[in-house]
Amino acid sequence: MASEELFYATIRDIGARFRRRALSPVELTRAHLERIEKLDPKLHAFVTVTADRALADAKAAETALGRGDISSPLLGIPIGYKDIYATRGILTTGGSALLKDWIPDEESTCGVRLQRAGTVMLGKLITHEFAFGIQFPGHRFPAAKNPWDLERMPGGSSSGSGAALAAGMAFGALGSDTGGSIRGPASLCGIAGLKPTYGRCSRAGVLTLSWTLDHTGPMARTVEDCAYLLQALAGYDAADPASSREPVPDYVAPLGRGVRGLRVGVPREYFFEGVDPEVEKGFEQALATLRQLGASVEDVKIQNIQSAGAFMAIMLSEAFAYHERDLREHPELFGELLRERLLAGALITGSEYVQAQRIRTLLQADMNAALRRVDVLATPTSPKPAATFAQVYDPDYGFPRGNTGPFNMTGLPSLAVPCGFTAAGLPISLQITGRPFDETTVLRVGHTYEQATDWHKRHPVL
Amino acid sequence: MTLEEVRDRMKAARVEIAENRLEVVRRLLTDALKPIHAMDSRAHRTLEPAVTFETVSSRGDRGQ
Repeated sequence: MASEELFYATIRDIGARFRRRALSPVELTRAHLERIEKLDPKLHAFVTVTADRALADAKAAETALGRGDISSPLLGIPIGYKDIYATRGILTTGGSALLKDWIPDEESTCGVRLQRAGTVMLGKLITHEFAFGIQFPGHRFPAAKNPWDLERMPGGSSSGSGAALAAGMAFGALGSDTGGSIRGPASLCGIAGLKPTYGRCSRAGVLTLSWTLDHTGPMARTVEDCAYLLQALAGYDAADPASSREPVPDYVAPLGRGVRGLRVGVPREYFFEGVDPEVEKGFEQALATLRQLGASVEDVKIQNIQSAGAFMAIMLSEAFAYHERDLREHPELFGELLRERLLAGALITGSEYVQAQRIRTLLQADMNAALRRVDVLATPTSPKPAATFAQVYDPDYGFPRGNTGPFNMTGLPSLAVPCGFTAAGLPISLQITGRPFDETTVLRVGHTYEQATDWHKRHPVL
Repeated sequence: MTLEEVRDRMKAARVEIAENRLEVVRRLLTDALKPIHAMDSRAHRTLEPAVTFETVSSRGDRGQ
């Protein structure tokens, strides 16, 4: 088994080792496959490990390196895909018994782009059922566990992606985010995750939860690694009607420009209700660090933020619309919790759905107004650290209130970056949100903060 | 929202939810609909929802 340090290296570092022939993509891939074999039985992050495909990808990367092709920083980098991304010829389950045997004949656009960048596909990572329903005991697919504490949830719905990255079983992962499904697991697993602007990364070939809220994006252990992945993923795609033609800038080069002179706004209303005291303390310390680094920090007001809960009415309605036919014909193939949540969407009237979309328009205008005063908004990512499975499996456990959904409503780019640990050793996370298509500033703030701290260098003992 | 209203809505939508789960669903819907019911829709002159039309032809440039 290779040294622990190798599995927690950065993409930049691995690329440098490849180029000086200190490491080969096949060697690295074999080491990861061994690690997955050793660790995944207790973490359940992977639904399918594509060992043959991974080795074939690694050999292709090795050949490319051999002829001096170093154009892609992702060449030979082992990646996992959330199991709602369609993969041609490879089982794609959506974490659902309904799709337990589905082998797509198409590839998602994100998958095509990662493959074009020369990545190595390690396999498919467990998702909450259809990106919405936690798998209860006895489900066809077991739930992933949090590497920091196996009795706790890794968050969701990109649960396997978060767990695999925290456990050093991949260098990057595809996640999706409808109400926080990239940033939530990133927050609870102590890694970085970016929900890009709506329309920035294609949703083509990705299972739908809610058409107007779904985003695709990268997860990794560092902000720079997220930037490398975003560089490969971003850009117009005719196969996604929401895809934007906004030009794709360089996301990596500006990372080192620091935060001096940038204005960070803190919306104190809504985002601090019910926040765990340790999370709040970690967040305030992160603000102090940003000040020390030269940013100015001020409180900002977002009008109508208290209406952000209407997000749930949109998600429930659209999710029911997407699943209605299967729900009526095969209710037994849905997990109990997911079925209940989807059916709740059937109880929302057309008028209520339209009013929720109107609230969204108001909120978009209000956030854009706040972002004219400041360059980014900062909040805690998750109000509380990871919950235990015992808490989540309690029949009365409701849908937790989150700090991420408002930015799905408004489509703004939003990054989760580690900002501390609780006394019990659970990760805490800072959420940084920016103007539409200004991922560059969001990543720059996240990277500058991250490099001034060592939270991202801590890893769970497994 | 009352449990009775949840039951009425279930009837209208032709769906069934186990009786012992109605309280959880009631709470979920109450939270989701609270801001909607609190809004006076006449007070806001939004022009959304809207459909956006794009004149640029959709070429098969997937993956570009």
